[in-house]
Amino acid sequence: MKRITLAILLLGIFANAQNTPIKKDTLNVVLDEVIVIAAKKKKIETEMKMAVSVDEFLASSDNISFIKRGAYAWEPLLNNMSTERSTVTIDGMHIFGACTDKMDPVTSYVESNNLSDIEIKSGQEGSMHGATVAGSINLKRKSTSFGLNKKWNGGYQTGYEFNNDQFFNLGKLSYSGDKLVVDGSVSYRRAENYTDGNNDEVEHSQYKKFNASLGVAYKTSPLSSVRVDAIFDKAKDVGYPALPMDLSLSRALITSVAYKRFFEDGPIKVWDTKIYFNAIEHYMDDTTRPENLVHMDMPGWSTTYGLVSKVNFKKDDYASEVQLNAYNNLSIAEMRMYPQDRSERTMFAYSWPWVTTSYAGLSMSNSLDVSNISQLNFGGTLGLNYNYSKYVEFNWIFHPGAPQKKTRFLPNIYASYQLNMSGFDFSVGGGYGHRAPSVSEGYGYYIYNSFDRYDYIGDPDLKNEVSYEVNASAGFKNKRASIQAQANYFYIQDYIIGRILSTGSPMNYQSVGVKGYTSLDYATLFNFSLNGSYAILQDLHWKGSLTYARGLDENKNNLPFIRPLSYQTSLHFSYGKFGFLTSLNGDLKQVDYSPEYGEDETPAYSNWNVSADYTFFIKDHKTVLQVGAENIFNTYYSTYADWGNIPRMGRNVFTSLKIDL
Amino acid sequence: MRLLHLYVIAVFVMVVSCTIDKTDYEAEISTETTEYIDFEEATSITSGDYTISIEALNGSLYKGYNELRLKITNTQTNVDLENSEVAFLPIMTDANGNKVSCPHEYNLPFDATEEYYKGYAVFTDESDTTVSWQLYIGFVDNDQSYMIDHTITVEEQTNLNLNMTAFTGNDNEQYFIALVSPQSPNVAENDLVAGIYKYNQPTDPSGTFPDPSQFSYSIVQNHTLLLDPRMPEPSMGNHSSPNNEDLTQQSDGLYHGVVNYTMTGNWTLNFILQDENGQTIKGTEVSTEFTPGIEGEKSELYIDILF
Repeated sequence: MKRITLAILLLGIFANAQNTPIKKDTLNVVLDEVIVIAAKKKKIETEMKMAVSVDEFLASSDNISFIKRGAYAWEPLLNNMSTERSTVTIDGMHIFGACTDKMDPVTSYVESNNLSDIEIKSGQEGSMHGATVAGSINLKRKSTSFGLNKKWNGGYQTGYEFNNDQFFNLGKLSYSGDKLVVDGSVSYRRAENYTDGNNDEVEHSQYKKFNASLGVAYKTSPLSSVRVDAIFDKAKDVGYPALPMDLSLSRALITSVAYKRFFEDGPIKVWDTKIYFNAIEHYMDDTTRPENLVHMDMPGWSTTYGLVSKVNFKKDDYASEVQLNAYNNLSIAEMRMYPQDRSERTMFAYSWPWVTTSYAGLSMSNSLDVSNISQLNFGGTLGLNYNYSKYVEFNWIFHPGAPQKKTRFLPNIYASYQLNMSGFDFSVGGGYGHRAPSVSEGYGYYIYNSFDRYDYIGDPDLKNEVSYEVNASAGFKNKRASIQAQANYFYIQDYIIGRILSTGSPMNYQSVGVKGYTSLDYATLFNFSLNGSYAILQDLHWKGSLTYARGLDENKNNLPFIRPLSYQTSLHFSYGKFGFLTSLNGDLKQVDYSPEYGEDETPAYSNWNVSADYTFFIKDHKTVLQVGAENIFNTYYSTYADWGNIPRMGRNVFTSLKIDL
Repeated sequence: MRLLHLYVIAVFVMVVSCTIDKTDYEAEISTETTEYIDFEEATSITSGDYTISIEALNGSLYKGYNELRLKITNTQTNVDLENSEVAFLPIMTDANGNKVSCPHEYNLPFDATEEYYKGYAVFTDESDTTVSWQLYIGFVDNDQSYMIDHTITVEEQTNLNLNMTAFTGNDNEQYFIALVSPQSPNVAENDLVAGIYKYNQPTDPSGTFPDPSQFSYSIVQNHTLLLDPRMPEPSMGNHSSPNNEDLTQQSDGLYHGVVNYTMTGNWTLNFILQDENGQTIKGTEVSTEFTPGIEGEKSELYIDILF
């Protein structure tokens, strides 16, 4: 089975490269046996840094690149496609950001210490949680299993980063009883403005983030349990240097109640049902920018409730998971303008005119062991997507007579075949799937995009985007070395993108025109990655990766936000209780940029990083101390996806300390 | 169970405690505009055996366009006077004693189904201590002519969506443009209706007052009113909207077009009035540039509205 999960990509190499034994994340023992389509567990840390943000962790995956508007809340691009084309979930729960400018991807509402793993599936294999084109990112929360020998577990991590004066404290605690399990975590990060490679301060790049989570599980019978989970996240005073406005406050409450039941006999192994609710508030304004004579508030709200219910079957060589997914989301975003005084409001409009999205989908994924060395995976989803725009008059301005309600059928299917013999593995696969336009693409109204400086207008009548996908991979692995090549190709019919509208007149202060979301006849996307690792000595390991992507529209013009050829190479050396790591990463010059969509040519850059860690024990408590530096040469650079060519961070010395309690 | 309770309470508190309130959109668009829907009696005149009842929207006469309905009743017989020749002439006397009129329908036709005489008047000023309005109404019953005059009160127009403008065209004629509809626009495509009138310069010397030939107005025929709506506030940077349609005359004599308002706030309707040959009578093209921070330039001919 070829599965492009982050876990496998990293873990395969990680297992070789890592000398210090990693304590496996504890998980329910029963669960471990029956969940056949489960991802490998992987601690939320990269090789480079052990105290990473969720964004930094995701960035270490080959499939993921980022659009960055500052130091906080990066938008993950999966297979070089923006978040509209992927589904991002937390334990299968759908959550939608409340910011029209995508300043709050779902990943910004969690913290690394309440996650156990991030599961990434490329393309249609990711359609299990809902219709997708690019794939899915599922953030898995920590959940301690019942009846561990050690009842109390915990960890504390603190650190300081010199460049942006970042200080963070992450704590977690769990209790594991025979009948009751409690998981809790608290974290706080704050950072000031960072400085770029020219030692200039990048204004409005500060942030403060508080995150807390609590999970309580109770064993209702030997084979069933109920679990209640909640995450509360609050970010304040977050600057976006690439935007004309900042975030004054965002809050998220993410809650769920789950019931899980195991079956000892028969083909049904486990049934897991969850109802969930989450509410997000996101308040942006530009009063922190006194140079603006006119101010604008852009508050947004997003409320979602839903149900996920899944059943796992296994019989002989066949395993299957059937999942029912249903959710309802209400997205509201407002624009309010006023001169210096907020009470003298001069205009009001909805950028999301109370748009309801309801989705129900039934998905299935199957795997069949054809022989000892080969496996067939196939599955699909049939979804029903319904949109309702309460104040449809806003949509009628540009699309007179557009329907207030819209129902779409979203089928997705995929299949792949995997062969594994004597260290070699090969896979080929294909997929077909639809996705519905996002709220912004369908119903957005004057959504300002500061990358190309256009106001964007949605079109309720957009067609479904239809993706045809093929993928293949080949790899070889032995005790000392591994190499793997992966490629995928998407042909996306009715590809949705913004095109200049001659009729529109801009509205936002810094905007230059109006673009409407329209469908291209088609677009194509090609992604390729190559990974390798080699154990030079027992304690000296090398790994490297190379990625390349190309995206073209129907006229063979470049698509925006396609990562140029990029590379990463690192060397890890361990000596006793010490570990040393050095890495080099960078992008080549962005040759295939897209001026039509506001891109300019981005020069090549490379970054050299080093870190060292020391492991010791304080009264049986394992403690790791790490010191390192990123961008040692203090290179001034910005990447192809940095809005407004905002420079990235210059040299950053970081320290952190981690204690297992 | 108690944990669950706590949890539910916590969730509830979180959800209701939004720190920024959502805008009440219905309230947002309903303020500032008073909508007039029903015709009510605005004034009633009794003279001799006759009572004249004048109905207008909301029972008041406002500066700007007023649709009027007249009923004439013989109080002796209690019978409504039908199919009479009814003449209607409003006269304004200003502080200097000058007498002028305003666009109006002089000969009021009788609507047999609705049983009233139908007309309109575009009052150009509101009544105050120095300005007074007088109605002169003439009618014929049993071959006998009657002439009644009566002082009325013209009130201030509080709904800017029914605003009007008076101007002298490049042809030295006096023109009037008055908005008729929509009274309460939406963020949407709105059917924009306006009346365009012209003062007919008298060719003959004045006869006995009130001589209708001195106070003659007519509906401007087959002209075109080019429309360019914009938000003039500096903060809005001369913002405009798509899919607007110029106003052209329809069978009801009024000019109909389409205006799109993309959001609530102050809007200026910039006009250019062109005659049937495309010659500009009044109005200038405005900049289409987006100029944030600078107050939007207005046409020579414009009407401000607010919604």
